[in-house]
Amino acid sequence: MNKAIRLAVCCITWLLSLNSTGYALELKETPIYADQVSAATLPPIAERLPQTPYVDHLELLDQRQLGKPGGTINLLMAKAKDVRQMVVYGYARLVGFNEELELEADILQNVDVKEGRIFTLTLRPGHRWSDGHPFTSEDFRYYWEDVINNEQLYQFGPPKQLMVDGQLAKFDVIDRFTVRYSWDQPNPDFLLALAGPGPLYIYRPAHYMKQFHPGFTDPETLKTRIIEAKTKRKTWTALHQRKDHQYKFDNPELPTLQPWIPVTPLPSERFRFVRNPYYHRIDTQGYQLPYLDEVIIDLASSRLVPAKTGSGDSDLQGRYLSMGNYTFLHEGAQRNSVNVLLWRTTRGSQLTLYPNLNANDPVWRKLFHNVDFRRAMSLAINRHEINQAIYFGLALEGADNLLPESPLYKPQYRNRWADYKPEEANRMLDAIGLTQRDHRGIRLLPDGRPMEIIIQSAGESTEETDILELIHDSWLNAGIKIHTKPTAREVFRNRVFSGDALMSVWTGLPNAIPSASMSPAHLAPTSQQQLQWSQWGKYHETGQGDPPDNPAVQQLLELNDQWRWSTDNSQRESIWHQMLDLYSDNVFTIGTVARVLQPIVIRRNLRNLPSDGLWNWEPNAYFGVYRMDRFWLDEMATSAAISPVEER
Amino acid sequence: MARYILNRLLLMIPTLIIISFIIFVIIQLPPGDYLESYISELESQGESIDPLQIKMLRQQYGLDEPFLMQYLTWSTGMLHGDFGYSFEYGLPVSDVVGDRLFLTTIISIFTIIFTWLVAFPIGMYSATHKYSWSDYSLTFLGFLGLATPNFLLALVMLYFANVTFGTSIGGLMDAEYINQPWSWNKVKSVLEHLWIPVVVIGTSGTAGMIRRLRANLLDELHKPYVVTARAKGVPPFRLLVKYPLRVALNFFIADIGNMLPSIISGAEIVAVVMSLPTTGPILIAALQSQDMYLAGSFLMFLALLTVIGVLISDLALALLDPRIRLYGEAR
Amino acid sequence: MRQNPTEKGAASTQLTGQALREHWVTDSPFDPQSIAAISADQEKYYFASQWQLIWWRFKRHRLALICGIFLFLMYASILISEFMAPYALPTRHTDFIYSPPQPVHLIHEGEFVGPFVYGWDYQLNMTKLLREYSEDRSQVYPLEFFCKGDPYQLLGIWDGDSHLFCAPEGATLFILGTDRLGRDMLSRITYGARVSLTIGLIGIIVSFTLGIIIGGLAGYYGGWLDSVVQRITEVIQSFPQLPLWMALSAILPVTWSPLWVFFGITLILAMLDWTGLARAVRSKLLALREEDYCLAAQLMGARPRRIIGRHLLPGLFSHLIASATLSIPAMILGETALSFLGLGLRPPITSWGVLLNEAQNINVVAIYPWLMFPVVPVIIIILAFNFFGDGLRDAADPY
Repeated sequence: MNKAIRLAVCCITWLLSLNSTGYALELKETPIYADQVSAATLPPIAERLPQTPYVDHLELLDQRQLGKPGGTINLLMAKAKDVRQMVVYGYARLVGFNEELELEADILQNVDVKEGRIFTLTLRPGHRWSDGHPFTSEDFRYYWEDVINNEQLYQFGPPKQLMVDGQLAKFDVIDRFTVRYSWDQPNPDFLLALAGPGPLYIYRPAHYMKQFHPGFTDPETLKTRIIEAKTKRKTWTALHQRKDHQYKFDNPELPTLQPWIPVTPLPSERFRFVRNPYYHRIDTQGYQLPYLDEVIIDLASSRLVPAKTGSGDSDLQGRYLSMGNYTFLHEGAQRNSVNVLLWRTTRGSQLTLYPNLNANDPVWRKLFHNVDFRRAMSLAINRHEINQAIYFGLALEGADNLLPESPLYKPQYRNRWADYKPEEANRMLDAIGLTQRDHRGIRLLPDGRPMEIIIQSAGESTEETDILELIHDSWLNAGIKIHTKPTAREVFRNRVFSGDALMSVWTGLPNAIPSASMSPAHLAPTSQQQLQWSQWGKYHETGQGDPPDNPAVQQLLELNDQWRWSTDNSQRESIWHQMLDLYSDNVFTIGTVARVLQPIVIRRNLRNLPSDGLWNWEPNAYFGVYRMDRFWLDEMATSAAISPVEER
Repeated sequence: MARYILNRLLLMIPTLIIISFIIFVIIQLPPGDYLESYISELESQGESIDPLQIKMLRQQYGLDEPFLMQYLTWSTGMLHGDFGYSFEYGLPVSDVVGDRLFLTTIISIFTIIFTWLVAFPIGMYSATHKYSWSDYSLTFLGFLGLATPNFLLALVMLYFANVTFGTSIGGLMDAEYINQPWSWNKVKSVLEHLWIPVVVIGTSGTAGMIRRLRANLLDELHKPYVVTARAKGVPPFRLLVKYPLRVALNFFIADIGNMLPSIISGAEIVAVVMSLPTTGPILIAALQSQDMYLAGSFLMFLALLTVIGVLISDLALALLDPRIRLYGEAR
Repeated sequence: MRQNPTEKGAASTQLTGQALREHWVTDSPFDPQSIAAISADQEKYYFASQWQLIWWRFKRHRLALICGIFLFLMYASILISEFMAPYALPTRHTDFIYSPPQPVHLIHEGEFVGPFVYGWDYQLNMTKLLREYSEDRSQVYPLEFFCKGDPYQLLGIWDGDSHLFCAPEGATLFILGTDRLGRDMLSRITYGARVSLTIGLIGIIVSFTLGIIIGGLAGYYGGWLDSVVQRITEVIQSFPQLPLWMALSAILPVTWSPLWVFFGITLILAMLDWTGLARAVRSKLLALREEDYCLAAQLMGARPRRIIGRHLLPGLFSHLIASATLSIPAMILGETALSFLGLGLRPPITSWGVLLNEAQNINVVAIYPWLMFPVVPVIIIILAFNFFGDGLRDAADPY
């Protein structure tokens, strides 16, 4: 990771040196600003950019070309809250992933990491907020001293990403453009958190936020501002929090560094985002990015989004579409002159069964702790049938583990205990001692109850119901009957957390394409949200409850800790492999199929979207890593339709 | 009369207090609270949220207070026009609902007009041609609307309106007119979209209206005064309109009590399917995400309208028909 | 509006046109009491019990009669759904996913064969990700009746495997097509009827009982009980149904088995439905109490229990049954609406509401329209109930 950053930094400095030594990058004014600049209501481009802007060599990438500024595109979202997706798609981060999923400095000019624990961040001098105010280390200081260390604002303490083993970082302002964060122990999560799709914001537009802070504003003015803001609690903390929605992106007054800035206040059915005139990235023609002048988000109920997309109401849509919509979208593609691309999703498994190792029922818990039982259940699933019946055979069958896209992938992780071997499964179940069966042919538990498992489900989709129905039939051959119990999401989670649920069904590993520098925490009980061992995860998070008593699980936890302390990439890689090996051999979760295709509908003349991309929240931030600021509308375009499935 | 109105108004106070309490209990009945459903919604999309932040929000929103305390704050707040705070929008409830009331009212009024336009002729015709085949086929048509599940009809009509007329799917106007000032084109666009929800919602109401009108008319048509009038040679249509129809209209007035709140709430399910910018979808979303003050205040508003509506219809009935006595005691 | 017996009598004694011209006296003996005495027909009419009168009137309402018979047959058929459906409920045909309805033919190459289907093949269109089905005209499969098919257990007692009709060996029979897992839609609709039709019936029984008891008590005792009931119904009625549905279905215990959830949802629907009935019972009771025959009974010394049981309730019942019939469709529709909101029944249970909810997406409307077919039985049943109920109501007022 460090190497990657250094490499990127090298690149930039190399470019800059080129720049100053005659590789003249002539800046071109954005057409839409021409009037404002000539009327002197907006400074010219050279004054709006940082002294060293990020020069994006996008034309060097596959399927990408230099574009023209201008144009508007429409997106569809389901809820007003979804405007935060513009922060995800926009993906301006202090450091961010590139398409090879390596970290590189983006808003920052440079990141220097020493011993994995001292992080020196250098800003781009001359970089400005979207309202033209300079972006400096004061914005970091304000966040550190006046926000998270203010006991009224953060009364429960600073965010956990800034803590290592309960210890808060040490923060120093070096100069106007340099800040430093240091810990005693390595903090491998810090940069990842900054690069996340929902990033950790360690800076605030101080000049704006100070208006709502009693340390900088007199009580009288503050009081009137509190009343004007109409918050629930009439306190300055509520006011400060209400205005401080960098991620929620619903305060049009809040200065931002993202490529587009919101202009429509809540509530509305249509949200406009206009380009940020002070954005820090340019292309090699000298145009300021983003290319698109405006992005418009229209709201429609999530059930209607596929219908509206199919009738040409969206120029760029992935969210709320699923593979089942492909046929319909494809029908309308010609009529609406859009293309339907098929990207790959990157969860470890589209649908995973989680036997609850913390189940309250002692008999079942004992069975779930038996690795042979978990293996037998996995062997009894006919993944090929699921793939053929629901995904036209286009998905990838296997366990809930890494995908071939990951540099850490090994075929055995995916294939181990994941073939359909009903006889073998039955033999293993017999060997455990589950030989008694009732008149229906269902095996009996040691205490005489029939083996009927109620699978807790959040009832998210018909796809889930269908897969469970297929699993129901193939498990019946192994003498196990399942019943699905759909409930509301909150109920679902609470029943798993409390141990009332024997088995639950949810999506698999969130990020199945990691590199060694990404955290393997998902493979060990580190969070209550891990449905196979949520109580152990809670123990790790809060110290409440009991620690894991399963040796393989304890080992996973230890390895996870080792990874955190390690700063050497090859060592990290070997830890990852040990964990993956343990995880797949122990079958803690039962995967089905993965890499389900995701339809992406784009206007036919929208450029710079790869025809085959990865669609996920983490690490790709959906369109984020592909940099939506590079997308542009080709007015001259007359390109033919493409057929993604045949290409496959 | 004045005494009666005063009495009724005073009776409204305890009724409303009880209703407000029941509403508050009911919206809190589903397990969990807004923040829990917020977390699980984020989780379902792969996002996670810092437990510390949730703790902070819970305190900020006052969700850590005891139930009765929350109820008291909310109900006393309503007395001076503070309807609470929507967590989902981060705005006071009145700001969230305000804009949508207008469009909801428009849809509802058009729907009522549509229902009447369809139901009156059919009801009158089938009452005067009882048990004829034309009566059966018209009633059949009326029932067809009632029998078709609205949500399916809505989707099918959206799709075919899009394919045949090119009307954009969902919403109440083409997207470019949203947030724009009213103009002739905007009105045209609204009218283009309006007919689908009006027809879908309206068809389900016509059957009931036809049946009630027909039954009421039939009752009147056999009264001696009608026979007398007919014997005296009053033309049939004039006879029908002049007396029996007037009397049969009483039940429409009695219906105002139900109509007032439905004008505001609209048909929620249809509105959700069509994603209309009306209050229905907000209410359903608020109930689902347990945005309790938004849901609660809105329901309270509806209940108030019902109570007022019942009062108005009672008074109107008494004014129109002196035979109805306000005090409904036995003879 | 109704013909009455005295009119009939008048018509029979009318003079003919000829009689006006000639003076003519009949020889037959004259009975001065003939008008006052009642004929056999009239006797039958006057002394018929109320139920008989209702039945006579109802029979005249031909459409209602047809609907009634139809409904009876439908309810009878859900007892033997397993026999009626060509396939068992869990049967999947993974090779025939999203198959459109398969046409049933009678004539093959100009020759009458009886009902038969052709071979049914599909090709996977990978550009569209669509399975395109076609008939293989070289293969003719005559349908079989009372044939052996998927085994089942009827009413939990009798084992059987015979079906009303099924596909011959080696062929498929998807008269209404298949869904996304290759399940036969006709069979699913047949099984779904069992849940959807009983939900209406159980619901109406519950709300009927509640309505009669509560409304009866309020109407009979009056006073404070009456006002309390009045207020409660007012509150329930002034409340939008939706949040009540949501709240009530949210408190159904999560540990309940699907069957209990089904029952719970019926109860919810009934709990919101009884108010109308209770009000009707109450007002009707109040009105009937003032009738002359009631006064007469009182004067003759009948006790209240006898008056209510013997004189008041029968007058009420016919009306109530009619209005109950009319609210069954509302229950059936209510179930579909609840399913739509994700509050009602959910798969793996199969009901019409569940089937319609699955059809509620744009793919189905545009590409697989046969999945919307469950709307047809819903419409037919609701229409039938409405006409039947209308007929009943007209008949319920025989005097």
